[in-house]
Amino acid sequence: MRGSDGKPVPDAVVTVYPGGQPTKGPIKFDWPYRVAQQNIQFTPFVLIAPAGAEVSFPNLDKVRHHVYSFSAGNKFELKLYGREENRTVRMPAVGVAAIGCNIHDQMVGFIKVVDTQYAAKSDASGKAVIRGAPDGAVVVKVWHPYLRAPKNEKTLPLAALKGAVAQDVAIDLRAPAMTH
Amino acid sequence: MFNRLQTKLTVLYAGLFALALGAIAVTVYLTIAGTAQQAVRQELTATGGVFDRVWALRTQRLRDGADILSRDFGFRAAVATRDAPTIDSALANLRGRMGLDLAVMMNVDGELTGVDPSKLDAERLWTALDAEDGAGGVFMVDGEPYQLISAPILSPTLTGWVVFGVRLDDREMQALERLSSIRLDADVFNREGQQWRAENAERQTPALSAFVANAAKGDGAPGRIQGPGGDELVLVKPLKTLGGGASSLVLRYPLALALAPYRPLLAAVVLAGLVGAALVIVASWMLSRGLARPIAELDAAAQELEQGREVHVVVQTRDEIGRLADSFNRMAHGIRDREARITHLAMHDPETGLANRHALEAEIAARMAADPTRPVIIGALGLDRFTFVRGAIGYTLATELIVEIGERVRAHNPDVMVGRLTTSTLCVVSSITDLEEAVAIVTSATPILEAPVRLGGDLVDIHVSNGLAAGRHGEIAPHRLIEQAMIALDQARDAGRKASPFDQAAYGDPASNLSLMSEMLEAVRTGALFLNHQPKLDLRTGAITGAEALARWIHPTRGFLGPDLFVGMAEETGHIRALTDYVIDQAIADQQALRAAGHDLVMSVNISGRLIDDLGFARQAIARVSEAGARMCFEITETAVVGNAAVALQVLEQFKAAGIAVSIDDYGSGLSSLAYLKQIPADELKIDKAFVMGMDGEAKDALLVKSTVDLAHSLGLKVVAEGVESREALAMLQVMGCDIAQGYHIAKPMALPALTEFLTRWGAEDEAADPRAKQA
Repeated sequence: MRGSDGKPVPDAVVTVYPGGQPTKGPIKFDWPYRVAQQNIQFTPFVLIAPAGAEVSFPNLDKVRHHVYSFSAGNKFELKLYGREENRTVRMPAVGVAAIGCNIHDQMVGFIKVVDTQYAAKSDASGKAVIRGAPDGAVVVKVWHPYLRAPKNEKTLPLAALKGAVAQDVAIDLRAPAMTH
Repeated sequence: MFNRLQTKLTVLYAGLFALALGAIAVTVYLTIAGTAQQAVRQELTATGGVFDRVWALRTQRLRDGADILSRDFGFRAAVATRDAPTIDSALANLRGRMGLDLAVMMNVDGELTGVDPSKLDAERLWTALDAEDGAGGVFMVDGEPYQLISAPILSPTLTGWVVFGVRLDDREMQALERLSSIRLDADVFNREGQQWRAENAERQTPALSAFVANAAKGDGAPGRIQGPGGDELVLVKPLKTLGGGASSLVLRYPLALALAPYRPLLAAVVLAGLVGAALVIVASWMLSRGLARPIAELDAAAQELEQGREVHVVVQTRDEIGRLADSFNRMAHGIRDREARITHLAMHDPETGLANRHALEAEIAARMAADPTRPVIIGALGLDRFTFVRGAIGYTLATELIVEIGERVRAHNPDVMVGRLTTSTLCVVSSITDLEEAVAIVTSATPILEAPVRLGGDLVDIHVSNGLAAGRHGEIAPHRLIEQAMIALDQARDAGRKASPFDQAAYGDPASNLSLMSEMLEAVRTGALFLNHQPKLDLRTGAITGAEALARWIHPTRGFLGPDLFVGMAEETGHIRALTDYVIDQAIADQQALRAAGHDLVMSVNISGRLIDDLGFARQAIARVSEAGARMCFEITETAVVGNAAVALQVLEQFKAAGIAVSIDDYGSGLSSLAYLKQIPADELKIDKAFVMGMDGEAKDALLVKSTVDLAHSLGLKVVAEGVESREALAMLQVMGCDIAQGYHIAKPMALPALTEFLTRWGAEDEAADPRAKQA
């Protein structure tokens, strides 16, 4: 993933839908469904979680946080809580849960709730790796919280898979809305 | 108008003061205007700064409000959940609390809450909001400019914007105007195409629009334009706009308002100027009147002085004008004194102090004018033998003598005026009006006047003569009257009388005679004076042997003048030499003409007694006659020879020696001396015509003629008879043995052509007949 300026773009979520269909059956990723609050930041910035997953929001800071999401289907609110690690929220709806802290405006995070097993987010070098996707027709989408596109998501022009496929994707990012 | 010093000075001073005051007023006004303009400029700039601050503050307030709302958790929740009623109520709540004109929420999809979407360009607004975080600026809502400020709604991603707005209407402008310490007009101008239009159309003028358009491109310094109510200073502050377009805040300040505080000062300056000018006019008018009046009085006095009146100028002041007046008075006094002296000198004889001729003439004129009907009688009183007396007693005593005589006259009759006419002649202007009476009085008074005078211890005998003359006003001029008195004095002395009135008849008219003489010389040149010749008949041969040349003068105005008139006058006035020269020359010329015609005559010319002793004349006459080879006869009177016999006889000898015949003219009419007759070397003797013409009636005359003929013959002289006017006389003369006859009976004097014709005719008859037969 590269931005329009050529630099690698981290935290871009790539989803692959074989045959254009979501995955039937339970989806399981090999990373924890967890968004910690650490150093008054959400970590990770972007979390991929399957629909219906319980996401934990541990507060690792010494300050209290008031974590919320107004995102449709995944609306929640964890009112002021201190240092603890046992808060969880279920993410029922496929989509994006934009999470913030009512106390700390600079805290922004995203949970990409997906309905496919084949999803990954780009690392610091901008590389996202998806394994195990079957050959055949696919719909590949890229999402990024600041992607300049409707719902911050666009479909890649990759119609079918045959073995290992590597593709460079250039995406156009907006500047994030800054708090004042 | 400016002929008066007073007006000049007043106008000059008032004008200068007004000029100076005008300059002060203009300077004050310009300074004030400049200061005021500068103050307004600074105030405008300051107000511009204040406006910037106000704008920033308000922007901040709006932004703060928008921020508060945009960060409200519940509001964000409402926005996230699209809870429109909650959003509306929240916006309304804040609008009310902050006194906003507009409070709107626009979500990221461009949907608006809190305003009718048709009232604004939502897409443009969205674009502007999306382009910049916290975008703000002027934006048109419902056709009116609003100041909008936005705040993003982050929950935590951008879900929309809270937009607050304040309408930039008149109320807002007035609020801004109130912020300024000076009374500004604040307006918002929007660019529409190329035009800038005022939000309030009433405030808009073409000049202002143009200025705003220029200022929007320029540095935004205050400028000056012509507004509807006079000059205005204008400051244009560009306003940030939202989503394109351009707007400016226009601050205007009328200069008249800036000057308003100074009006009382200006009015005070003008008032002080007017009062000062009035004072200067009055003061300079009074001062110049003080100057001009004495000068005008001096002017009037100078004119009086010019006309000879006595003047004295009274000037009170002790300044230059006062001194001028004093000097003027002294000058006038000096002029009077000198005039009196001059007048005295002009009217008096400096030696005796008696009135002079001029004064006498004036007195005569005055007395004549006093009574024109009566004559004024004056007397010329002459001291006889005065030069002799003066030589005897000296000039000083002689003058005293004159004074004494004058006093005697006045003592005898105090009414008279006595003056001095000449060294030895006094003039007495009398009050007597009858000339005979005057002569009688003068005659009787003469012994008193002639009483011996004691001078320097000696008695001096004196003798006086008096000439009197009378004249009326208008008949004779005073100086002519004095002349007549002087002539009368001469006439009295000539007649040996003590007093004599002027005798006009005896005197003639010398002035006209003098002019006649100058005319005579002219007549010789022009030919108006010419010669006639009267033939002389030889009684023995019957032939014409000679002719007497007689001068004739046809005067242009007087007509024919006989020689009796002008020859005597020529003798008296010294013109006889010129006349005689002419006659001799002409006679020679005529003789030659006659010779050419075959007639040889002796030409007789009369020589005046005045010339007979003139050796120069004689020499010249002889020279001419000799030169011409003429046969001439000079006729002279015996009386003339007696006057200066020695020289005359010498001259006559010379004539004779030169072959010129000498004839004794007019024998018997004057003093005849047989002694001289014997001495005169004459050739012939002419018997005076009185005897010849008297022969007819008077036996004595005939006897005298006969005896004269005999006498002449006995002295060896031929005899010529003049005045032969009858045949009888001619016959008698022939009988008496007379040699030659001359007269009207033979021929009148005639001009040369007539004489030539006469001689020709006579010669023819002479051959035809014996003269005696002819005479018979």
